[in-house]
Amino acid sequence: MTPTHFSFTTAFILGLMGVAFHRTHLLSALLCLEGMMLSLFIALSVWSFQMGVTNFTPAPMMLLAFSACEASAGLALLVATARTHGTDRLQNLNLLQC
Amino acid sequence: MNPYVLSILLISLGLGTTLTFMSSHWLLAWMGLEINTLAIIPLMAQKHHPRAVEATTKYFLIQATAAAMILFAASTNAWICGQWDINQMSHPLTSAMTMTALALKIGLAPLHLWLPEVLQGITLTTGLILSTWQKLAPLALIIQTANNTHPFLLTTLALCSTLVGGWGGLNQTQLRKILAYSSIAHLGWMILVSQMAPQMTIIALITYIVMTTAAFLMLNNINSTKIITLASAWTKAPALTALTCLVLLSLGGLPPLTGFMPKWLIIQELANQGLAATATIIALTALLSLYFYLRLTHALTLTLSPQITNATTPWRTPNKQPTLALSLFTIMATCLLPITPTIFTLMT
Repeated sequence: MTPTHFSFTTAFILGLMGVAFHRTHLLSALLCLEGMMLSLFIALSVWSFQMGVTNFTPAPMMLLAFSACEASAGLALLVATARTHGTDRLQNLNLLQC
Repeated sequence: MNPYVLSILLISLGLGTTLTFMSSHWLLAWMGLEINTLAIIPLMAQKHHPRAVEATTKYFLIQATAAAMILFAASTNAWICGQWDINQMSHPLTSAMTMTALALKIGLAPLHLWLPEVLQGITLTTGLILSTWQKLAPLALIIQTANNTHPFLLTTLALCSTLVGGWGGLNQTQLRKILAYSSIAHLGWMILVSQMAPQMTIIALITYIVMTTAAFLMLNNINSTKIITLASAWTKAPALTALTCLVLLSLGGLPPLTGFMPKWLIIQELANQGLAATATIIALTALLSLYFYLRLTHALTLTLSPQITNATTPWRTPNKQPTLALSLFTIMATCLLPITPTIFTLMT
């Protein structure tokens, strides 16, 4: 395992654990998702750079575009949640459990 | 919703699934999954009540996490083996991680807790899309990666799903939650044979889609989301109520109906592979599901609603809803068992 591989793996797993275990605010979950996406961006760009696959160089850009769309959808949902529930705390999302 | 926006969203839904179907590269498959997720979010949140927004938020968080995990597993595989092909994900760690992420995406048992809540918060039509069309793309990926996955993981996921799907539905009074648990149980049956006989998975998926579509369209037609409103369904549509029982029993898998076909073929396949213990367990867990379908049937036919209908019965007034798809799917959900050999030959 190269140092680059180790660093993006650690970054991704930290982000994933942030989503899974730190469940207070919706905004922090969205930030963790964005951190996961950025670690994937590093993974893809360094992979194409190290392997010398020039065909693959647009892929990190596409990943970034999709993650931007996803982040904007997440922020829109954050606004919608704040309007309907009054707060962005994940504890308040409890209307559907029974 | 504006029809232009609606058509764009529906086309995007189709585009995402098709992109995942035809891709052999993990990045393209991931893009298809993302397009699918992003296209259904406005459909889920179109009614601005708190429950819909909450369901959409939960769905978004789960799907985004699962998609990121899939891409992470694929890029790790590329770093280790230098391979982006879906069929050749050979490293055991990455294939297990992909399967876990796909299980999270479609709601298999240890990762299923979001599905009943999300389905409870949205309308029946969007719920129909969510429980049929949205399962296609992840299941296509599951069928392609199942060859390289450890069988123990698949069997555990499948048995947990059928058990939890049967058990969780027992205590529910909300029809959409019951349908969500039924979806979990059926997906368990599909995953169980995805490695040894992928064509059985496809047959089970097709019959599940037909039966669930019929059930959702019927509930939409009589406009009921709770068991108690089922008891007065006969005042709205007597013939439809009689057929709803058959569709529900077909979902439960009783012999003269379509739902028996996938269970029969899958158990036969398991017996051929010498997995008698697995076949016994999965057949017994199907009984748990059958119990709550029987409860729904009982509420539909044998109970009388406590409200007294003072007005003339509503079935006298003409029903303006379109019924072509409903009748088609109902017939397919009840009468397809005799052509099992044809379907089997077409698939294999």
